Amino acid sequence: MRFGDRTLRRDDAFRLGLAPALIVLAVITIGPALFLVLTSLTPLNLTLPDTAWDFSTPLGNYLDLLDDPRFSRSVWVQVKLSVATVAVQLLMGLGVALLLNADTPIRRFARSGFLIPMVLPPIVVGIIWRVMYAVDISPFHRFMDWIGLPVGSLITNPDTALMAIVIAESWEWFPFTMLMALAALQMVPAAPVEAARIDGANDWQTFRYVIFPYIQQTMLVAGIFRLIDSIKAFPLIFVLTDGGPGDVTEVTNYYAYRQAFTFSLWGYGSAIATLMVIGIFVLSWAIDRLTRAADAEAG
Amino acid sequence: MQKRADRSARAARRTRNRLRLGDGATLVLLALMLFPFLWLVQMSFRPNADILGYELAFTPTLAHYRALWTGAFPGSFVNSLVTSTASTALALLIGVPAAYSLSRAGFRSSRSIALWILATRMAPPIAFTIPFFLAYRFLGLSDTRTGLILIYLTFNLALVIWMMKPYFDSVPRELEEAAWIDGCGIWSAFWRVTLPLSSPGLAATAVICFILSWNDFFYALILTRTQASTAPVAIVNFIQYTGWEWGRIAAAGTLVMLPVVAFSILVRNYLVRGLAAGGVKE
Repeated sequence: MRFGDRTLRRDDAFRLGLAPALIVLAVITIGPALFLVLTSLTPLNLTLPDTAWDFSTPLGNYLDLLDDPRFSRSVWVQVKLSVATVAVQLLMGLGVALLLNADTPIRRFARSGFLIPMVLPPIVVGIIWRVMYAVDISPFHRFMDWIGLPVGSLITNPDTALMAIVIAESWEWFPFTMLMALAALQMVPAAPVEAARIDGANDWQTFRYVIFPYIQQTMLVAGIFRLIDSIKAFPLIFVLTDGGPGDVTEVTNYYAYRQAFTFSLWGYGSAIATLMVIGIFVLSWAIDRLTRAADAEAG
Repeated sequence: MQKRADRSARAARRTRNRLRLGDGATLVLLALMLFPFLWLVQMSFRPNADILGYELAFTPTLAHYRALWTGAFPGSFVNSLVTSTASTALALLIGVPAAYSLSRAGFRSSRSIALWILATRMAPPIAFTIPFFLAYRFLGLSDTRTGLILIYLTFNLALVIWMMKPYFDSVPRELEEAAWIDGCGIWSAFWRVTLPLSSPGLAATAVICFILSWNDFFYALILTRTQASTAPVAIVNFIQYTGWEWGRIAAAGTLVMLPVVAFSILVRNYLVRGLAAGGVKE
């Protein structure tokens, strides 16, 4: 009985420890989320005061989104950007991780070096690539001139602007997939790899049939994490192209930002942001399912 | 016998050659990957007359850094430092006891709380910015450091709970129970026994919170104007006012990235856990 009392008292103490965090989290996350959804049901425009709390056509913004070609184009740009960057990051990350998965002093040193792009402030990454893409000062453009293959500015050409963003974004975030791949590779047991070698498997076969099955789950999770984060792309686009030329690099996030903060169409911007939240939650739910499936498999 | 020794010597030589080849490839790739980053750093030391030059031999100058010192940049640097530090401290103060409670008490709601925290990590910043911007106009928190510190909690608090709970899980309960028997209360046992044992994790968590706040651009761009603007926003502001003055921009960029590069090399081994927030199994 006394023991039961103590456990109860302990649980009370733990509730007290948890309460402040939950209250603050509720105020700064659930509060704003509800506010966002409410705003998305109004035509709020800060230049027209009457539009606040006007719920006469609650679904108006969402219906408008259905036939807003700029919105659907932004979703398409987002899909292209996400698919391309995630694919490049997975390949680069895995490739570099395989290279670094040997215990020599140089590789250990390089593991720190390779992660620099990921931790740089995104605005600095933007500036770094703005320099690389500026025709008059970029060492890349100078090199292309020198070998006799001059290229025009990549970020002002509608055909290459998105590719330029993909390159910069992949450079910034491949260290993430690399770190995750490296962590997974270091968990691969040595015995099966050894056995495959003795049985005469070549490098590719060993990788494909022995190592890869151990790391594919981690690679999948890494890919989904990058997919979700790619939906938040902002600083690079802000510094490199500002969504242009035209709207070829205007992803959905950028479009929502424009609607709210440039055009002051808060209700409309909120509706786009609400749809983004829903999309991201569907993806997060997928992660949760996958990691749980992995736990069950391992457990 | 002799033959077998020959064969194993050959195999060892082959392994050694492969390692050497891999080391060489690693260095070449590393140099290529870091080239854009190093280029910006060298630009910040190049005299203005020679800013477009590409000869490696030039007389480095600190002129661009000195020019920064006289403008609005130092103030924004201080803003960055204050908001990042304060938000990190606040997130630890509220988040660490919560992580410990979640680790020790068998709440039935633990799983939903964990999902809520993951959802916070995933939510797009634009979804927070619109309501915060409107609310801050009303509350008078626009363009204040307090406003930034609060919004940085949206990612820092979730991160602290997510990162610290596994650390507390791995501290054996027997140690605390011994302290309880010796008459310690729950929180004093936590303070004296559990927290010191998890201090490496705590330090890494603090550093990652600091880096994420320091690196923020989006929130500061929207929620500040002049008074509270942070260093990343200050860079963009002077691009807008003075155009692309490359030397100064490179110097500002170098200054802003210096602390994070140093810090992140210190906590390299914890970065995966922090940034993937639960995506990797330990």
